[in-house]
Amino acid sequence: MPRFRFDDDDVVVIVGSGAGGGTLANELCQQGVRVVVLESGRHHTPDDFVNDEWRSFKQLAWLDQRTTSGSFRIAKDFPNLPAWTCKTVGGTTVHWAGCCPRFMPHEFKVSSYYEGVDGVNALDWPITYEDVEPYYVRAEDKLGITTTHGIPPMPANNNYKVFANGALRAGYKGFHTGRYAVNPVPRDGRPATMQDGFTFQGDKVGAKWSTLITELPKAAATGRLDLRPQAHVIRIEHDERGLATGVTYIDGDGLEQFQRARLVCVACNAIETPRLLLNSASSLFPDGLANSSGQVGRNYMRHLTASVYAIFDQPVRMYRGETMAGHITDEAPSDPDRGFVGGYYMQLLSLGVPFMAAFMDPGTWGREWTSFLENYENMAGMWLVGEDMPQATNRVTLNRDVLDQYGQPVPNVHFDDHPNDVAMREHAWASGQKLYEAVGAVRTWRTPPYPATHNIGTARMSSKPQDGVVNAFGQAHDVPNVFVSDASQFTTGAAANPTLTIVALAIRQAEYIVEQLRTDAIPTGHAVWDGRDPGGSLTGEQVATTAAGSA
Amino acid sequence: MTYQLSDGARRTMLRALRVMFPHDRLPDEAYERVVDKLEADGRGDASIASTLDEGAAQLDGEGGFADGDADAQLEALRRHEGTPFFDLLKATAVVELYDQPLVWKAFGYEGPSTHLGGYLRRGFDDLDWLPDPPLTFEEAAAAAEQLRS
Repeated sequence: MPRFRFDDDDVVVIVGSGAGGGTLANELCQQGVRVVVLESGRHHTPDDFVNDEWRSFKQLAWLDQRTTSGSFRIAKDFPNLPAWTCKTVGGTTVHWAGCCPRFMPHEFKVSSYYEGVDGVNALDWPITYEDVEPYYVRAEDKLGITTTHGIPPMPANNNYKVFANGALRAGYKGFHTGRYAVNPVPRDGRPATMQDGFTFQGDKVGAKWSTLITELPKAAATGRLDLRPQAHVIRIEHDERGLATGVTYIDGDGLEQFQRARLVCVACNAIETPRLLLNSASSLFPDGLANSSGQVGRNYMRHLTASVYAIFDQPVRMYRGETMAGHITDEAPSDPDRGFVGGYYMQLLSLGVPFMAAFMDPGTWGREWTSFLENYENMAGMWLVGEDMPQATNRVTLNRDVLDQYGQPVPNVHFDDHPNDVAMREHAWASGQKLYEAVGAVRTWRTPPYPATHNIGTARMSSKPQDGVVNAFGQAHDVPNVFVSDASQFTTGAAANPTLTIVALAIRQAEYIVEQLRTDAIPTGHAVWDGRDPGGSLTGEQVATTAAGSA
Repeated sequence: MTYQLSDGARRTMLRALRVMFPHDRLPDEAYERVVDKLEADGRGDASIASTLDEGAAQLDGEGGFADGDADAQLEALRRHEGTPFFDLLKATAVVELYDQPLVWKAFGYEGPSTHLGGYLRRGFDDLDWLPDPPLTFEEAAAAAEQLRS
């Protein structure tokens, strides 16, 4: 792998290597752009992954200090863990299960269904479903989504048998084993799943799409990727005209480095992305980079999230097989007659005993709870994921009272449930319980939200600069050579798991960037090099020769 | 000096854990691991050690906690809910108690599976008390239609 020089001002720097950053890196490299990916975490490989929930969590999860405030229960149960994301090459795609619903067309235009809801900072997306649709098709091919592109459905596992029979008896008609990014048959160099049940722990087998095993190796094969693990970016730097010149990061030895850049793309998940923009404040941008709208960090969404577990009088063994290969769509449309706007999906879910104990009902003790947990063998489970309301006060800010290991202020996540979120969660819990009771559940349990795996909306797209942070291609309104490439750019959250849409938008953004670079439409920042040894093993011309030689 | 729990404190804590997280089918051994972990944490942190010593003494000081009946023990623990001692026991137990193969086996969880080839040929779909359900959207819609007619 090449190591581009620190003073190379022709590289695109991507901060983060997950669904957004990893995909964007590959798409750009394939189209001839040289890319430096700076990833805060280590470079683990599937051989490192472990079939052990707590050990895996310590290996992969983002455990840097964070703080919380607000009335959401997470602030009490997990005050320093508002989100369950990853700090490793591949980002949270290493942890994700692979659920890939598309957004529904109306979800790009919330003014069509957020009727009569107070206290929301609502905005329509500057793009429509039709704009994204061709990129969904390409993303589904890239990820290898079951039941698309000739890929067969995932077979039914034990947990799905309960879930689907319950769905049928509860009167649902839109369900299946998932639009799922795990191979049921070998495809694209990845093997078929062995139904081992450890998708969340990285997937040792490599049947699941992650940027770790697909996008980044493909990008590396072009000779144009410089992937630097343990490179934690603390600031985006800019020149006197307000154009980005590069980024400052702390490397694995604890040394501060500066990498020049033609463009900077931020894809650090929706807590770290606004944190980085806010932490890049300067005399020119006193409220943070790209924040003239004041929307950076605001409208933080984490999806409905809730779960229902049920006990039966016969074994289920839900932990066997693909963790989330089951999906019900009937509750997803917006139907205000239910007492809330927006909708939710019901999705298969299993946790092992260690995590079931930790997350089933945090803080609870006593026999009512333990007698449920110890029936683990007879347990079935589902996750409830739906649209939560964008609120200006749900917000990521810098907590200057607490510094992390890099000496930087930690992000504080403030969140209050909106009444619409509460009403939807009540409905979803009741629907899940009804489903399981229809198929003979002896007991059911309402599990509260987990630390968020879906983090959304903190650098949102808008057509007007005063309404949001980035334009319809994720390009910052204020700083044209800075892009946001993760779910931070989502204007609203929709009900769907975000990864497919992150990938689709990254493919679309890559096309835009390539065209903008080709026509020199994006101005370049000018960095004055401080005279340090720029290091590096290859120049741009040498890379071009190498790539041509290996092609 | 290496920190060590007194026999009395150990006995009180073991009993408290059995009442807080009751599983009749688990042997004391499973709970002793939690006490061992607490003791080890106390060895590394004097404030944990004093929380354990003082908390156990307070719980026991109300009249022979470990020898009382189960209802009295539950009542005593309810009174201590929210104390640093109680919270430390709870937070440690919820991780340590349920992170041991002995407990997984008792609850019917098989633990690591990849090295055994997963469950592809070892029962990922062996549930036989319900009919085989539809796999796709189209099959589900047809099944729902059939059920209605």
